[in-house]
Amino acid sequence: MRTKKNICSFAALILVFIFNSCSTSKSLPSGEVNYLSSNDGAITMRAIGIGNNESEAITDAIYNAFDVLLFRGLPESEQKNALVGTNENEERGKHKDYFEGFYKGRYKSFVMSSIPSSDLIKYNGGKKGIAVDVKINTVALRKDLEQNDIIRKFGF
Amino acid sequence: MTMKIRFYILSLLLLQAGIFNIAFCQNTSTNSGGQIVTVQPKIMVIPYTKEGEDLRTVLENDENKRIAIAKIKEGFDSRGFTTVDFIAKLKAAKDNNLFTSENQSDLKSQIIQMSGADVYVQAEVIVEKGQSGNSVKLILTAFEASTGNSLSNKVGESGKFYTDDFNKLASKAVESCIEDFLSVMQIKFTDIVNNGKSVIVDVSFDAGSQYKMSSEIGSDGLPLSDQIEMWMEKNAFKNNYHIQGTTDLRMIFDDVRIPLKDQATGNNYNPNKFALELFKFFKGLGLQPAKDIKSSTIYLTIK
Repeated sequence: MRTKKNICSFAALILVFIFNSCSTSKSLPSGEVNYLSSNDGAITMRAIGIGNNESEAITDAIYNAFDVLLFRGLPESEQKNALVGTNENEERGKHKDYFEGFYKGRYKSFVMSSIPSSDLIKYNGGKKGIAVDVKINTVALRKDLEQNDIIRKFGF
Repeated sequence: MTMKIRFYILSLLLLQAGIFNIAFCQNTSTNSGGQIVTVQPKIMVIPYTKEGEDLRTVLENDENKRIAIAKIKEGFDSRGFTTVDFIAKLKAAKDNNLFTSENQSDLKSQIIQMSGADVYVQAEVIVEKGQSGNSVKLILTAFEASTGNSLSNKVGESGKFYTDDFNKLASKAVESCIEDFLSVMQIKFTDIVNNGKSVIVDVSFDAGSQYKMSSEIGSDGLPLSDQIEMWMEKNAFKNNYHIQGTTDLRMIFDDVRIPLKDQATGNNYNPNKFALELFKFFKGLGLQPAKDIKSSTIYLTIK
């Protein structure tokens, strides 16, 4: 009797495990950004964004794309070095007003296109994710950073 | 004090102020109201040549090289930076009959000297033809003209295409690396802004000089070479200097950092001003120095 009970609970455990692995919910990915192409002053990236709905997820993907360009640099692209610097906390602190305004809405003027390249994916905890192809006008972005004294102009 | 004496004193003061104004003050027509603009480095883009190759014919006969140079300059222009035009300088040199066929090997350095360029960017264009397509490779290198310090190095590739349009391939090769090349250069420039510009200091003795590097001079009677190093320790920007070597007759500092801006006034600082400080130091030791400055190299000869 006891062995039967044990077998039953073991089978239940396996079923739970199988159910879980078949479920559409996944663990949250990090804000991944990968280089797709570049053409004469514009870079296209595929970025993953997370949010409560599609619109939030797309915005998050765009934020991630900007974060990588500004504070990390994008390998394989012409912008391998971070546009601003790799210490984002320090840089954001130094130019608080600029970055607040930038992420509040100014960033939109540098986005040439943002096209979802995947369906909305559901993650654990009710969050949703999406892959977006984001095209950014890097020439205008650099000029803006230069004009606002966030980065130095070319030269001394 | 009588009125007459007061009048004389006032006149003298006014006269002194007038002389001071004429001698040292800025002309009203050039007065910028205290605004200071940082002096930018002069950059020139030149083609790569093998030893003994004639720079003129290389450039005139190879349109791919001309295209590559034009595209590189376009990259600088897009960053709002104006370069020295190499072809115009070459033409001017030709008009002035600066070059003779005997001194070909030194042609490049002559142009650089004549142009006054601080940095030169050398572009090597390699055309590759193959059955699986044609391609152009580009080697870009940027150096400080005076010290030879490397500023940026990149290799660009057009990729292979079934085309004979090498001009387009040369453009593609430049486009593939120019942004990255300029970004690395800018990182080095920012380092110069923060840590100072590199100059070479060469101290030697006149043929008839009674002094040597081992001569004990000054109030503390230390050897001259040690006196010089102690001065350098105090005056090199952020204590950053490197001695290439010292002999009894010569002392060479191959890398002494000087600030871009005068730390006291905020005005632009240059090797000439640093040389003047060195000159004063030698005078203070009771020596008779002669100074000569060539780009970023300071030559001091003790008589």
